[in-house]
Amino acid sequence: MSKPELWVIAERRLDHVEPTTQQLITKAKGLAGDHFSVVTILLEATTDHLEDELSVYGPDEIRIARDDRFPTATDAELADAIKQLVDQYQPNSILFGATITGRSIAPRLQAKLQTGLTADCLDLRFDDETLVATKPSYGDNIMCEIICPDHRPQMATVRPNTFVAAPAAGAATVTDSPVTFHPVDRLHVTAATPVVNTATTVGDASRVVALGRGAASAATIDSATKLAEKLGGRIGVSRPLTDQPRFTHDDQIGQSGNTIHPELIVNFGISGAVQYLVGMQDSQTIVAVNADENAPIFDVADYGYVGDAQAFMTALLAQFN
Amino acid sequence: MKIVVCIKQVPETNDVKIDPVTHNLDRRGLAGVMNPFDKNAIELALTLKDSRDDVQVALLTMGPDDYAESLREGMAMGADEGYLLSDRAFAGADTLATGYVIAQALKKIGDADLILFGRQAVDADTGQVGPIVAEFLHQPQITYAASLRLSGANEVTAERLLEDTKQTLVAQLPAVVSVRSELNTPRYPTPRNIQLSFAKPLTVWHHDDLDLDDSRLGQAGSPTIVTKVYAPEPVKRELTPLTGTPSDAASQLITALKNRQLI
Amino acid sequence: MPSTTAAAEKLLLQMVDDYTQREISPQDMAMDAAGDFPEGFLAKLTETGFLGIMLPQEFGGAGFGPEVTATVLNHIARGNASTAVTLEGHFKTIDQILKFGTPALQKQLLPSATERIFAFSMTEASGGSNPMGISSTATREGNHWVLNGDKIMITNGGLAEVYCVLVKTAPHELSVFVVDQDMPGFSFGKREDFIGLRGTPVGEIVMDHIIVDDDHLLGKVGDGGLIGDSAHDDARILMGAVLTGIMEHELKIATDYAKERKAGNTPLTDLQVTHRKVADIALRKETTKLLYQRAAQLKAAGQPYSEEAAMAKAHGSRAAVSAGDDTLQILAGYGYSREYPVEHLIRDARAMEIAEGTVEKMRSAIATAEFNK
Repeated sequence: MSKPELWVIAERRLDHVEPTTQQLITKAKGLAGDHFSVVTILLEATTDHLEDELSVYGPDEIRIARDDRFPTATDAELADAIKQLVDQYQPNSILFGATITGRSIAPRLQAKLQTGLTADCLDLRFDDETLVATKPSYGDNIMCEIICPDHRPQMATVRPNTFVAAPAAGAATVTDSPVTFHPVDRLHVTAATPVVNTATTVGDASRVVALGRGAASAATIDSATKLAEKLGGRIGVSRPLTDQPRFTHDDQIGQSGNTIHPELIVNFGISGAVQYLVGMQDSQTIVAVNADENAPIFDVADYGYVGDAQAFMTALLAQFN
Repeated sequence: MKIVVCIKQVPETNDVKIDPVTHNLDRRGLAGVMNPFDKNAIELALTLKDSRDDVQVALLTMGPDDYAESLREGMAMGADEGYLLSDRAFAGADTLATGYVIAQALKKIGDADLILFGRQAVDADTGQVGPIVAEFLHQPQITYAASLRLSGANEVTAERLLEDTKQTLVAQLPAVVSVRSELNTPRYPTPRNIQLSFAKPLTVWHHDDLDLDDSRLGQAGSPTIVTKVYAPEPVKRELTPLTGTPSDAASQLITALKNRQLI
Repeated sequence: MPSTTAAAEKLLLQMVDDYTQREISPQDMAMDAAGDFPEGFLAKLTETGFLGIMLPQEFGGAGFGPEVTATVLNHIARGNASTAVTLEGHFKTIDQILKFGTPALQKQLLPSATERIFAFSMTEASGGSNPMGISSTATREGNHWVLNGDKIMITNGGLAEVYCVLVKTAPHELSVFVVDQDMPGFSFGKREDFIGLRGTPVGEIVMDHIIVDDDHLLGKVGDGGLIGDSAHDDARILMGAVLTGIMEHELKIATDYAKERKAGNTPLTDLQVTHRKVADIALRKETTKLLYQRAAQLKAAGQPYSEEAAMAKAHGSRAAVSAGDDTLQILAGYGYSREYPVEHLIRDARAMEIAEGTVEKMRSAIATAEFNK
């Protein structure tokens, strides 16, 4: 008897595979063990070869449906194509990246299949063949474990960068599995232009210089602005600084739902209330500078300096030049 | 032209607590407010209403009787009428069961040209109900619209920002659209319109007012079950102290950041 | 189901809190520094309908009652007291036109009160607390009144477009007329440079032979003292509300700071000296709140409220200054810094020991009311 299938829906990002897809394949392989077969579903144009990028991560099978309309297809058309494959293969579970595309197609497919879908997951595990998905709620203040006991397939979208992609040995079987493309005449993509991601909010920035009550003077804010420019990032603030006229709640990290996970965050004069820490703890590298050596921020930081924020910032700026 | 904006009421703060005994979410004392992202959808509807004479804006929500407060708030912003879908049979619904009832109500309303949603609710953070409703109604969807305008008598043109691409989409109405919060700045309800909103029609539909398959309602009609709820703990990391004078410490940090390829 | 009134009031306060948090609080420090409202600030406040909160619906307003109107100013003052005081000056003036204006005058003037700010002016260089000391006059010429004189220290003076002015119609007779900035003979004088409530303009108007009809007289000839007292009463309720808002702001600053800071290794929240100060701030805030709400309730019920209104302001103004002082002490160096709002909250609160009758005058009024019982 063949193994139940755990699917990862591959997504395109410009001419390549979306990184979240690779992360999901690695995670799925870890979850599958000997019990599941990890199948990547790829919808691509007849001339595309995204399977070459996918096979590096070692899924058991890459199942491809080809149509030249796929790269510019709309949500309903893509959901319809995946539905045909689900009907044919009856997978146990389907994972999507919680990207804009993933979060748009997955619920549409869910409605077609009349099954459960858990959004924006931060962790996944299996209890036997039941997928246990951990999703944050209330702006990441609460975590919920959610299962879908009686309906199949089980579905989840997974937040990008939650898992780390790792290349894996083993040649994936590549198969073609034709579907019928059902065009939706009432909706067309009339233009598509690549965009360079520019950080407009603190949540979008890949580098953040964060300021708290201990780094609130005009001079420190000026230095921090220069530092943020040098790092190619943006200033964020903890709640007390939103009282200052130059900052708004859009600049606030933590509490108000502004959860951030930049590559680098340098915290100045922030002692670290719980919701602040939870709001930025997924940052890849965390640096903290605070006058109080007992400040909770040091518990979650990779690098810490006990001392004056302004003095440290001045020294840092001098050495950047 | 009729626009229906689907809205949700959420707790006024995300600072929720877990009951230490039952491990359930303690919602006591949490006042309900309109989901902030839904205000962007209402603002879009009202902008379209301001631009044309024939636009009627209705609001639709499913929930307990106190969700009427959010409908009133939306009517105080300028919407013309509200529909509340309220019945014990609808309670405990996940996104699929919620989407089903909302879709059935939209069928009863009947002539909606444009159905709008906010990007997601700030409590459950799923953003799933819009696409589910679109699927149940067999309508095209535009999610996370960054802009939207009426580009013809029966047509909208929208921009949508994917991670890497800006798409322009043209849809023939009727269609379902969910909007990004950056789309606009919602207007405030004025004090006078708050008073006047209480004279606008608010229709309450219960179970028997809609054509429903009972097996698809509420908890029984919800494929998903929440098995555990917990508060996240900040994850501790191993701290590398930066030591000495500010200048020494800055130099150590720069070395570390270079090693991590961050600068 | 809650009543329509209660539901509307809840929605109103929700909107006010949202507006205060997003539009008003962020401007608080800048207003104090600049000594004015920022560009576009009042336009947005007006566009959002704040000027018409207590104006009856028949004149285009929202028609909210005295209690919720005071509560609105309380909530706004949590973010910025100047904004609340500018609305206070506007509302108390509308109140006098509603109480004492003829239906024709109300119909003529009040619909514009949703877009134009109104002000009430009593003080002159020659007489502040003693109205009989004023020298502005209205003299009868034919079928008209001719107004002359200089009114100073008017809340919203220079910003407001419509003014109720206290003048003498005879050597020992006070009356109140309504003038419009568009009338010939009307001009603005200097703006005060006050140490607190610096967003709110306080200024001077000059009346040089302004001619008005009988219908611009409020009440009857000789009602000036009565109308002036009434304006004071209405203002004092709202000032109690503003002071409550200032104290709520102070209390929040004090408790937020205490919760985050340590003295040595002891959290400030574990120190008895902090307990004493925080408890005192909270007590002052709550007593002021009860006093202004009591006065507003009496006003809404159509009962006398003059003494209670005086109590709200007399108690609240000193209470807010003292609460600010305690807050400053908890924050110590930060409290004394101009980068934090505490010092300007003390200056803001201090204004209300003077405006709308000094605390000394309040106490006389309260004592007189007690003697008369």
